[in-house]
Amino acid sequence: MAELKLVNVKKVYDNKVVSVEDFNLEIRDKEFLVLVGPSGCGKSTTLRMIAGLEEISSGDLYIGDKRVNDVPPKDRNIAMVFQNYALYPHMDVYNNMAFGLKLRKFKKDEIKKRVDNAAKILGLENLLNRKPKALSGGQRQRVALGRAIVRDAEVFLMDEPLSNLDAKLRVQMRAEIQKLHSRLQTTTIYVTHDQTEAMTMATRLVVMKDGIIQQVGAPKEVYDEPDNVFVGGFIGSPAMNFLNGKLIGNYFIMDDVKLLVPDGRLKILKERGYDGKDIILGIRPEDINDEQVFLDFSPETKVNASVEVAELMGAEIILYSQVNNQSFVARIDSRFNITAGDTIDLAFDLSKAHFFDKETELRIK
Amino acid sequence: MIDQLRKIYSTLQVYKDSSDELGIDYKWFTTDNHEVIGIRNDELTSKDISLLTAFLSPYNVKFPNPTDVEGKWRKLIFSTEPIEGEKEWKPSNPFRFVYFSFNKDQVEPILFKDAIEALFDKQVSILWHNEHEGFIIEQQMVDEDSISYDQIIDILMSDLYVKINFFVGPYKKDVNDLSLHYKSLTNVANQVFQYTNKSVVTYVDAIPFILTKQTDEGLRLDISKTILHEYIYDEETIKMIETFFECNLNLSETAKVLHLHRNSLQYRLDRFVDKTGIDIRQFHNAMTVSLALLARK
Ligand SMILES: Nc1ncnc2c1ncn2[C@@H]1O[C@H](COP(=O)(O)OP(=O)(O)O)[C@@H](O)[C@H]1O
Ligand SMILES: [Mg+2]
Repeated sequence: MAELKLVNVKKVYDNKVVSVEDFNLEIRDKEFLVLVGPSGCGKSTTLRMIAGLEEISSGDLYIGDKRVNDVPPKDRNIAMVFQNYALYPHMDVYNNMAFGLKLRKFKKDEIKKRVDNAAKILGLENLLNRKPKALSGGQRQRVALGRAIVRDAEVFLMDEPLSNLDAKLRVQMRAEIQKLHSRLQTTTIYVTHDQTEAMTMATRLVVMKDGIIQQVGAPKEVYDEPDNVFVGGFIGSPAMNFLNGKLIGNYFIMDDVKLLVPDGRLKILKERGYDGKDIILGIRPEDINDEQVFLDFSPETKVNASVEVAELMGAEIILYSQVNNQSFVARIDSRFNITAGDTIDLAFDLSKAHFFDKETELRIK
Repeated sequence: MIDQLRKIYSTLQVYKDSSDELGIDYKWFTTDNHEVIGIRNDELTSKDISLLTAFLSPYNVKFPNPTDVEGKWRKLIFSTEPIEGEKEWKPSNPFRFVYFSFNKDQVEPILFKDAIEALFDKQVSILWHNEHEGFIIEQQMVDEDSISYDQIIDILMSDLYVKINFFVGPYKKDVNDLSLHYKSLTNVANQVFQYTNKSVVTYVDAIPFILTKQTDEGLRLDISKTILHEYIYDEETIKMIETFFECNLNLSETAKVLHLHRNSLQYRLDRFVDKTGIDIRQFHNAMTVSLALLARK
């Protein structure tokens, strides 16, 4: 079991690309930590620095109490699973799991003990003599995990291990990996560009952009209280809406559209000196309602919107609309038949909305 | 110093490149100038060895023993004239040279070879340039179980804790001009990874890099300035354009990868047209901009 610590870690590649910067993070023992962010934001680079596959340009990395910057990867007590993961096509399941240990000259009975144990954990006992070709997609993935488990490592590093799978298998494997983690309790650092995967799997997540940490927190924390516009927009699907306007008096104003700001938020905005200033309103699609009760209850946060596209998703409709020439998305119950071209009233639940500074894009709090 | 040593040890050889065999019947040392020299074991007493290690560092890399077939390949590639009396050996299948490199000291050559042979499930010829670079000679075969080099990288990364780059040469049938082919592949392999951060690059991928590289630096800079205008230093736009190319000029796909709305991507591409007069939604324009981007590197 192990904790990890990254202190001011930075990576500059040979071509002078700064790919990770100011990276400070403590990873707790037994945690399932997810690094998430758009492609190119430095997730893999970070993971590879932890693994020792990529040199750390500056800063310190600790595993447990030991600074490991100069410890070769094979001595860091880690096990890894990657995106283009495959099995040795000509070896059976047993040997696929055993091979990494064989290369490292482990004793035969130690290898057998570890492989049998991993097979038991993963329910692969009856498949040990099968070749990869004769396995289902899910079974192959489990063998891939088994290859990491036999390492008996203190830390698992996984880089988008599910992104080459079809949607159904991906969902199934998410659950499987979580189950495995709760059983083995091995500290895990998991990289994905998929925010849904991050939200469903993480004990804590780290949102990254352009090589810099944007926010660290439990999934719900990050979802409910995004630190900035990027995090608000990246986490959650459909994405949070952002509307530009001004705070005047008690209202968020977009030209001729006025939304009453609830007391609590208003107090903070005024204290921070935003009266009369440009600000950004962030509101999630599910916090926009069309039900009559809501509309009656919130006469001053009502918007009359023209519907451009209405996607029926079964129990709900995703509406793409405009207000004051700014696009937004709403997610509402599909009780009524709404179609493109309709004009409808929508109530914005401003008690759940956030306000962001126009310049810094940081949440005003 | 090497010359002086050679007077004492007639079997001394300097290990420069793959034309020398780094056999186990030699004892290897590195000099202060990082040259690797070898002296045959039967010419060394234990006293000699202690003396030599006093001013040379023993070089402990263990290479796999060269196989017969590897020897034959070496002859094909490196010897200038056919060896008298010997019937010339030829590979039976089409083959390709696959350059590999990994970080120094991450894995021993012997382990690497074991793993590669396990992946291909047969003996594989490897010509080592040094302890972390060389060529795998891959014989073409019909094998439904075969796996890609991207997968090989990820497998070996988790088994051997090593990060590898592959430059995959084209398949060849005949062995004429093999020496030239080998040299030119080596040359390209040494440059190609400066232009990309992909770990697997094929010969086809590399062609634009190679051609761009032929142009002199002044002209390259001029081209990229002329084509890209002020965007030459605008990393965000350049990333957008590169992603657009990687997505085969598909707007929706690009918008998805970049987390942009399709309309705002359209808008940015329109603005690029306004500023440069070039619409990269058209293939021939895309090609020009793509080369200008390479020229900039
Ligand atoms: N080997 C490399 N050489 C140079 N630049 C690289 C290399 N690998 C990644 N990069 C750059 O570093 C940045 C982060 O890449 P990466 O860590 O792969 O991001 P992610 O995994 O989040 O998609 C990108 O700008 C990428 O182009
Ligand atoms: Mg990545």
